[in-house]
Amino acid sequence: MQELQELAKKLLSEGRVQVVIGYEAGAHGVRPAFVTDAADCGRLIFDPRCVHNLAVYLSPRRSPVKRLGKPAVVVKGCDAKAVAGLLRESQIKRDDVVLIGVRCSGVLADPRSGATLTGETVADKCILCDLHEPTLVDHLVGELRPPLPDMPRVSRRDLMLERISAMSPAERWAFWQAEFSRCTRCYACRQTCPLCFCEQCVADKSQPQWLETSPHPRGNLAWHVIRAMHLAGRCVDCGECERACPAEIPLGLLYRKVAQIVEARFKHRPTEDPEVPSPIGKYSLDDEQEFIL
Amino acid sequence: MARIGVFVCHCGENISRTVDTAAVAQALGEMPGVAHSTDYKYMCSDPGQSLIQAAIAEQKLDGVVVAACSPHMHEKTFRRAAANAGLNPFLCEMANIREQCSWIHDDREAATAKAIDLVRMIVEKVKHNQPLQPIHIPVTRRALVIGGGIAGIQAALDIADGGCEVVLVEKEPSIGGHMSQLSETFPTLDCSQCILTPRMVEVYQHPRIKLLSYSEVESLEGFIGNFKVTIRQKARFVDESKCNGCGDCTKKCPQKKIPSEFDAGLGTRTAIFVPFPQAVPNIPVIDRANCLLFKGRAKGKKKDVCGICARTCTRGAIDYDQEDRLVTEEVGAIVVATGYQLYTIGKIQPKEYLRGYGEYGYGEIPDVIDGLQFERLASASGPTAGEIRRPSDGKVPKTVVFLQCIGSRDPAKGIEYCSKICCMYVAKHTMLYQHKVHDGQAVVFFMDVRAGGKGYDEFTRRAMNEGALYLRGRVSKMYRDGEVIKVVGYDTLSGEQIVLDADMVVLATAMMPQLGIESLAQTLSVSYDQYGFINEAHPKLRPVETNTAGVFVAGACQAPRDIPDSVAMASAAASKILSLFSNAELSREPMVAHVNPATCTGCFHCERVCHFGAIQRKEVRDRQGNLIKVIAEVNEGVCQGCGTCQATCPSKSIELAGFTDAQVFSAINAIFA
Repeated sequence: MQELQELAKKLLSEGRVQVVIGYEAGAHGVRPAFVTDAADCGRLIFDPRCVHNLAVYLSPRRSPVKRLGKPAVVVKGCDAKAVAGLLRESQIKRDDVVLIGVRCSGVLADPRSGATLTGETVADKCILCDLHEPTLVDHLVGELRPPLPDMPRVSRRDLMLERISAMSPAERWAFWQAEFSRCTRCYACRQTCPLCFCEQCVADKSQPQWLETSPHPRGNLAWHVIRAMHLAGRCVDCGECERACPAEIPLGLLYRKVAQIVEARFKHRPTEDPEVPSPIGKYSLDDEQEFIL
Repeated sequence: MARIGVFVCHCGENISRTVDTAAVAQALGEMPGVAHSTDYKYMCSDPGQSLIQAAIAEQKLDGVVVAACSPHMHEKTFRRAAANAGLNPFLCEMANIREQCSWIHDDREAATAKAIDLVRMIVEKVKHNQPLQPIHIPVTRRALVIGGGIAGIQAALDIADGGCEVVLVEKEPSIGGHMSQLSETFPTLDCSQCILTPRMVEVYQHPRIKLLSYSEVESLEGFIGNFKVTIRQKARFVDESKCNGCGDCTKKCPQKKIPSEFDAGLGTRTAIFVPFPQAVPNIPVIDRANCLLFKGRAKGKKKDVCGICARTCTRGAIDYDQEDRLVTEEVGAIVVATGYQLYTIGKIQPKEYLRGYGEYGYGEIPDVIDGLQFERLASASGPTAGEIRRPSDGKVPKTVVFLQCIGSRDPAKGIEYCSKICCMYVAKHTMLYQHKVHDGQAVVFFMDVRAGGKGYDEFTRRAMNEGALYLRGRVSKMYRDGEVIKVVGYDTLSGEQIVLDADMVVLATAMMPQLGIESLAQTLSVSYDQYGFINEAHPKLRPVETNTAGVFVAGACQAPRDIPDSVAMASAAASKILSLFSNAELSREPMVAHVNPATCTGCFHCERVCHFGAIQRKEVRDRQGNLIKVIAEVNEGVCQGCGTCQATCPSKSIELAGFTDAQVFSAINAIFA
């Protein structure tokens, strides 16, 4: 913690950045913090409640954040992958941001609970995590704690997906219809996603209109399927959309399924390397095309 | 309200046999926005087109849908007709009710209903069509010809004689290609070099041809009319501006036993060499791999071990420190004329799908040679000065067996196609042999004699009449037995197994595209088939164009070709290029992608998926010059209108003119409405 605070102080006081984007304690657990004064760096913390993916504030469309000046941002492994996504898709330049990597042994599924981190309370994405120490970063702080002794071997979502694939198509349809019927089209999933950075979302396009905008099951399905397709091979599984969803739709389940398909078909998994394009933005003469008759 | 005219074609009976065209016209006539609907026997005929033009004028139509065949067939026809009647041609579209309906269905009622749906879709699409204007792009009136064989030479001369500049790039130290290796040519038996070398000299002396020998195309940028090509001029280690081609260096070179590529390995050459006496340019090249000096340097010797050629040269033209140079040339069109190579029967093959011939000893028997080697034996400039002597012991062979279709027409060996020229040159070889060895017997094993062409069949018959023994069948085995080669075959006409004692065997091996053709094709963005032959744009109607606008193809890199074919293709490509160059600007269809700068986020998925390199990055700045964002922009000259970017763009900020989302959506909605 002290290491992080001192680094932030140094970066701010030396004028290398104008704002440090990190985490601070708030009324309901932990919240994002924007520290612009070196004297305030004592506010910064990092613990298993820091689930938020702060890479979302790097998007060029976040003008209030942009106005604060050059940022340093605290990133976990999954967040660093999102930064790589922004670099890969030309949304930011590497020199325009200082990345403070934190060694992360996992975060809580419910950060408001304030529970201790155990195999029971750990977020599902952390069971699948392959990046506890981000390497894309400029600075790396914190200590890696030993792995949880009771860390589940299989992700809870993967178990659920197995159950879903065992369902008949009609049951599966009913399952998703029930989930999507709760969607109010608030677009919190989109707003909290670091990789949903389009200036004009396809959902907002009216000439022609791609999908119904009212919270109707048909338009809801179209919206979630389009978003899943746009995130195919890009989603870094930070879990923010599902956490932000007020209707508690298991979006992580949907994106996990798409990630499994992308990995099986394109041998692709989102990484920290900004040079590796995602399959959606790639063309190769060797692409499989067995579906062309 | 739109005023659209619908014109349903019977296509003789092609459509009306299965589709009730009158019912289609009537149903469409009742559709909102359709001002006029009619059917006719042949819309593409002159009266049919007049029907459309009259309706455009009388009914004041603002859109036309012709329900007929595939737009590939007649879209141009009907758009021209619409344009002549004063309508923007891109407001005219076709609904395909032939290939996609009448030809593939039997049920008249269902087919009619489907045809109505297909036409309704296009009517809805046309309601959203915008008038488009052709795109004009400037043209650099300068051509690049890749390959200096007979096809490349012919193309270069024709274009240069037509008044335009040409850059001719040849990989080898001299132009001339395989034709320069041949002794005589079929079907006239005139000397190959006698007809070729004057053309080579003409190239060298032509004021509008820039010859870059010993050079290869490295990379290509740009698009039709505006290519920028980077060419690697490989180091010759001889200064072209100083060398006068006296040949003293080659005489003094101590490395004399290197197999000569020009003599197909039958003769020898030195390490500093000119491939053949009539080479153009007549400037030697040092073969680094075999030169004593370079071998010494490669081993890290401090002092140069040789250097005789530099000491011999009175003009100081030898430069051991010369390096490859990259030169950039701007051209407006490109001819690919990289020619062929022959199938080798050996165990080690250049491609995985090729098999070689274990039954012929994988090419280990010294007196089993290929057609090009026989050409060198028969050539007056060859290693035996034109006497037919076999490679192993220099004896004059009394029985020579010629085998056709080696590799060709043989899926088991990896090649299914016919190499086309072998029947002819084997007939030529038997004649050349029997003219030179009067008591010799030529025996030919053939599958079929394919001699289509002017004077060709007469030629093969002449070979048979002059004493060559033609046996229809294949040879299953060959092995050495003392001085002779036992040739075990089967004569399918007599039904007998045949065992012959041959003194020499000549294999008519398959013609294959040159090695490295795939990487060149990728550099040029042209497609090629499974064997590496460059694909023509249309096998009948566009035989010398490729799928990439501005890139043309000539000669044996497109398919097996003989000399007359190659020359004809080269002249055809040249005339295509000259017609392209006859205008200062070229116009093309406006079906290209457009970026909406307001919504483009600059993720550049489009740039990565564009196979043609048509996406550029464009900076958007405010009035003070501050960079606001970097967005995608389409180079209209390069864009081929494939629509991949449109499908990929997550924010739907790219649209293809003529196929906008609004148009496609309306068409889809029409069937669900």
